[in-house]
Amino acid sequence: MTVAIQGGRERARAVALVRRVNFAVVVFLALYVAVGLLQPNYLEPAGAMNFLRRAAPLAILASGQLFVLISGGFDLSVGSLVTLTVIGGSMLTANDPSKTWSTIAALYAIGLFVGLINGAVVAYLKTPSIIATLGTLLSVNGAAMMWSGGSPRGYLPDNFRMFGRFVFHDVPVIGIFPLAVAVLVAVCALAQWGLHGTVFGRRVLAVGDNPRAAELAGVRVEFVRLGVFVISALSAVTAGVMLGGFGGVSVDVGRGLELQAIAACVVGGVQLLGGRGTVVGAVAGALTLTALFALLTLLGLPQPLKDTAQGFILIAAVAIGAWRRRRAV
Amino acid sequence: MEQAALALEMLDITKTFPGVQALDAVSFGCARGEVHALCGENGAGKSTLIKVLGGVYRPDGGTIRLDGREVAFSHPIVARRAGISIIHQELSLLPQRSVAENIFLGVEPTRFGILDRRTMRDEAGRLLRRLGSSIAPASLAGDLSIAHQQIVEIAKALAIDARILVMDEPTAALDRVDAGRLLDLVRKVSAEGVTIVYISHRMVEIQAVADRVTVLKDGRTVMTTTLAEAPTGRLVRAMVGRDLADFYPPRSSLPPGPPTLNVRGAANGQLHDVSFEVRAGEIVGVAGLEGSGKDALARALIGDEPFEVEAMEICGRAAKPGHPRAAIQAGIGRLSDDRKREGLLMQQSVRDNATLIERAFAPALRSPTAEPMSPQSTDKRLIQLDVRAASFEQEAQFLSGGNQQKVIIARWLARDPEIFIFCEPTRGVDVAAKAAIYQIMRDLARRGRAILMISSDLPEIIGVSDRILIMREGTLAGELPGGATEEEVMAIAVAHDREPHAMAS
Repeated sequence: MTVAIQGGRERARAVALVRRVNFAVVVFLALYVAVGLLQPNYLEPAGAMNFLRRAAPLAILASGQLFVLISGGFDLSVGSLVTLTVIGGSMLTANDPSKTWSTIAALYAIGLFVGLINGAVVAYLKTPSIIATLGTLLSVNGAAMMWSGGSPRGYLPDNFRMFGRFVFHDVPVIGIFPLAVAVLVAVCALAQWGLHGTVFGRRVLAVGDNPRAAELAGVRVEFVRLGVFVISALSAVTAGVMLGGFGGVSVDVGRGLELQAIAACVVGGVQLLGGRGTVVGAVAGALTLTALFALLTLLGLPQPLKDTAQGFILIAAVAIGAWRRRRAV
Repeated sequence: MEQAALALEMLDITKTFPGVQALDAVSFGCARGEVHALCGENGAGKSTLIKVLGGVYRPDGGTIRLDGREVAFSHPIVARRAGISIIHQELSLLPQRSVAENIFLGVEPTRFGILDRRTMRDEAGRLLRRLGSSIAPASLAGDLSIAHQQIVEIAKALAIDARILVMDEPTAALDRVDAGRLLDLVRKVSAEGVTIVYISHRMVEIQAVADRVTVLKDGRTVMTTTLAEAPTGRLVRAMVGRDLADFYPPRSSLPPGPPTLNVRGAANGQLHDVSFEVRAGEIVGVAGLEGSGKDALARALIGDEPFEVEAMEICGRAAKPGHPRAAIQAGIGRLSDDRKREGLLMQQSVRDNATLIERAFAPALRSPTAEPMSPQSTDKRLIQLDVRAASFEQEAQFLSGGNQQKVIIARWLARDPEIFIFCEPTRGVDVAAKAAIYQIMRDLARRGRAILMISSDLPEIIGVSDRILIMREGTLAGELPGGATEEEVMAIAVAHDREPHAMAS
């Protein structure tokens, strides 16, 4: 009996590992090698660091979205919250570098507020999250437009843009190390701890698996729902601050990012409708998508064709995920 | 019996899942018009065999023959077209569709390519009358009682001219009267030449309805025999490999302690004037027909659908749980009668399931494996309850019903509430696990816990309870001592007078 349990345990662990992680990681590595063959500097440390920097906002969004997805919901409002963050950053700082830190604090407060609204509507008004956050998406986008007067221009102050742009030079072994990658690593570690290293993470999984059973076992399901939407919103502000450093201020910085973040999670084996998912998977999914975009760009595909290809690949990822799960039975 | 005469023959069916040999060369045959019972503990391979027959699983080896012709089902639809109809324990009717639409789902009669509603309704009515039922074909399936939904499922099978009808624990959710009617129906349908594979844990039913019985154990056929040669004792021995003389654990010889739970004048939409107490060390059974309020009582006690009370005390302290979390804090634990919907996290591990309550109450940022949620403490409880799993990291969905039930019990043992409410504790659980669960309840009582057992299974109520409360029409209709006869309990449960029975002492 003991032997059987031991053997079974190792086997189950191996199976779980293969099932959860390998797929997205393997696909990512394959894509990255393909990208590297077309453009060899991707294979150098500096190229790889630059790639990670570009992938960071999406990976951060995906690690936040992950919590909502696992709890059995969707957060469609993150893209518009990224836009609001960038526009809000530009309005609040008004080109004055001394206001950067207070502005960032204010932006996180706005994110907290949006997250609480999302969570409260879903938890207490019992609105399906896909509808609730679709509403927030429209409202937040509208708020961003109104705030900026419709045609924002220019750039954020340099010390604000640092999070997206600053790079440590002359780092041993890897050469350069972008600050964005440091933020990415910190966010991933935080998400990893939050989901897999705390009781809260297990509650999120429980609520996503069977909210009724969780409630009857004493889990405060409403608090869990509030929590996941706040986490997602805060991750969106973080991604927004970073994206503000990448380029200029515009009304469509965040457009479509919510779907990309959900897609990244799905590619990483996170189960839509809840109960299953890992941070490693979500981040690997985000890296996979970023590598895919890079590949499509290197292949010289025009934007519409890239969008189409992206759509097909998403569907394929979901289908493969479903097939693997079916086969596992 | 000649080969050609067999309506269904499954030969040397083998099916392996990762780490488990679910079926090991199982053979099984039924003659036309036979009622063939299939028994075995949970995990013996019954469901797997049925899923192979229904085209849900493809066997790794073996042959299936229908009327002597070899068949292979690549999909449930193929099996259905071949005349195999399976009525699962969880009924599969579409609640928002009419009875007629459900009966002809997928085989709708058409006229010039257009749905022929009139024919459908008439035919549905004819099928239902043939089953001796007066259900209106136009009524919504969701509005029917479970018993009537069963009848519609059978009509659905007849509508496709099923030659083999598999019924998986059809009486599990029925009370005694409806179960009896269903058995009559089984006999009637088999007399029309339909072969029936009847899966049940209830020996009485098998004795009453089956011609032959096949017993599975650990994925193998243990025996196939006619019922005449198989008294219940022999069947049980074949299933569990031992006698179950001490099926119900002995009652405690100690007098019960002080009242742990005291409820006075409780009422809500489904209950009125409910007053009772449960003492420490006592198992109190609550019996009653469906709709008598016994399930509403459990939901009210745990604050799921709270009631208004004149007084409610737990261990002498006033308590009035307004929601499930408050009930747990007040010291009440409840094992739900619907472990799939209200109990298990199907995709989480056995360990995660067994620690759910502790994790609901621990500080949010604590490590999920801090005491008392550590694998060591959790495993100790799981092993103590003899939970069988390939690994405690295995997902709960892959466990058998009895083991799933034990995992939920483990979850409550970690919390160790003063009052345990067991709702239908052995529904869909095999004989051996049943005995184990009764023993767990008795052990809890011996440790001074108060136990309220709400059950539709009369032998269980009578065999396990120290006292029996009988509910009728939303209130307590009477009380009997443990060991009362089924007739005595039923007499109170079905009495028509509105006067409450005198409480026996």
